[in-house]
Amino acid sequence: MIRIRGLSFSIDGLTILEDIDLEIAEGEFVAIIGPNGAGKSTLLKLVLGFLPLPSGSIEIDGVPHLDWLKQHPVGYLPQREEFDRRFPASALDLVLMGLAGDLPLGARFGERHRQRALQALRTTRTEALAKKPIGSLSGGELQRVFLARALVSDSKYLILDEPEASLDMPGTQSFFALLRELNQAGKTVITVSHDLQTLSEYCSFLVCLNRRLHCHTQTDLVNSEIMHKTFGEAVRIIEKDY
Amino acid sequence: MQFYGFLLTAVLAAVLSSVSLALFSPFVTLRRISYLGEALSHIAFAGIAFALLLGWNLHWTTLVFVVLVSLAISWLAKRHKLAEANAITIFLSVSMALGIVLISLRNGYNFDLASYLFGNVLLVSQAELWQLGGLVTLNLAFIAGLYKELFYLSYNAEMAQFYRLPANLVNRLFMILLAANIVINLRAAGIILVSAQLILPASTAFNLVRRLDHAVLCSALLAIFAAVAGFALSWWLDLPTGASIVLLEFVLYLASLSWRGLAPK
Ligand SMILES: Nc1ncnc2c1ncn2[C@@H]1O[C@H](COP(=O)(O)OP(=O)(O)OP(=O)(O)O)[C@@H](O)[C@H]1O
Ligand SMILES: [Mg+2]
Repeated sequence: MIRIRGLSFSIDGLTILEDIDLEIAEGEFVAIIGPNGAGKSTLLKLVLGFLPLPSGSIEIDGVPHLDWLKQHPVGYLPQREEFDRRFPASALDLVLMGLAGDLPLGARFGERHRQRALQALRTTRTEALAKKPIGSLSGGELQRVFLARALVSDSKYLILDEPEASLDMPGTQSFFALLRELNQAGKTVITVSHDLQTLSEYCSFLVCLNRRLHCHTQTDLVNSEIMHKTFGEAVRIIEKDY
Repeated sequence: MQFYGFLLTAVLAAVLSSVSLALFSPFVTLRRISYLGEALSHIAFAGIAFALLLGWNLHWTTLVFVVLVSLAISWLAKRHKLAEANAITIFLSVSMALGIVLISLRNGYNFDLASYLFGNVLLVSQAELWQLGGLVTLNLAFIAGLYKELFYLSYNAEMAQFYRLPANLVNRLFMILLAANIVINLRAAGIILVSAQLILPASTAFNLVRRLDHAVLCSALLAIFAAVAGFALSWWLDLPTGASIVLLEFVLYLASLSWRGLAPK
């Protein structure tokens, strides 16, 4: 259970998120939708402790989120990850990163860890790439490897920021099918996405975000009015600016 | 006999000094903080000047001074990402100016500025040789002991921290050890040339090998070769040692570029 209370966030005086109250129950398959710049990625980064929380509170399983995160792994796929393309890591090294926190300081990965990482690569159909340097992977291949890293720790929560980005169509379909399987096995999945078609097929809970929350409800209860509120407002903002 | 002892000390000093810097070099290059090596060595100059002025122990004062400044820089860098490079260049030039002013205040004091600027392995004492040996051991222990942490820290510090690696702690240790490497190597490698030895071995190594652990090993081997050959060359041709070693490392770098050009992609 993730509980967000009274969350607001601004950068340089500009409000990015305002008054967010949100509860995500265990076992839910949540989609966060909203136009570009709505604050979706920012909300995820706040929940995951990448950004300091200026006001409001976030609790995971009843514990302040930063404390919870120190104790538990979370599978996370960032929208964009900064790294040097010539960095001497293989796809396998990258996936092992997802297990690094389970080991004591200084301990090396063992065969057991490598097997788990290979298994994760298999689920995203990239095991053939395990030995390849990350700099030599295509955009979609890299995305699948990042997805494998998010899956490898077998965490209770999976938080994905536009997982379908640079995936081909069968790739997207099979990945969402995999997410559904994991969700049915008990994991809570939270994904940001622009692919409304796919989302309506897979998600059980919809969060419409555009600086403020416009809805957070069962997917089939969302109507065109809410959609218009979420996406329509952005259009007006753009009109004001230009 | 005494002469050979003196020669041996100098060769060992050259080798240990080059190796200690070479061991750090892959991490410094991957993290793109080679400018930091440059800055810290110049900041050390202000530390030396302070120590001279106050009559304090040269080594320890400089070491503490540079460690503190390096921690301050990494703290600043985290806070204000964009201003980093500029701030460090300002730090660098100001501390150089400060050092020069402080040293000129102490005129009459017989201070061999050149040996600190360019380094001189012939001036390395027995005690300093032990320090260099200790430094290499410490570097090896640090890299071998925290390899996984250093690997992911170099990949992306923020993500490493997210995956519950103590990235901040390891980074702080890294900065302290980097500062120590620079200060302890000033006598042998010199303020101007120390950062060259921090960049060149790994730049060469990454042209030859593809894995980080191989690059660490390769850097160290290249540094040993460059130190021994550079020392011999400087001895026979009567050239400054530190500069000879750096030039040799550069020749190796050029050779590695053409090697990479030939290697199958
Ligand atoms: N570091 C930053 N500095 C200044 N503004 C920022 C920063 N990060 C985000 N913003 C602003 O915050 C707003 C929300 O950004 P965010 O990345 O959360 O949007 P998003 O909903 O994920 O959009 P997208 O669909 O394009 O990924 C944007 O207007 C963006 O310009
Ligand atoms: Mg986003």
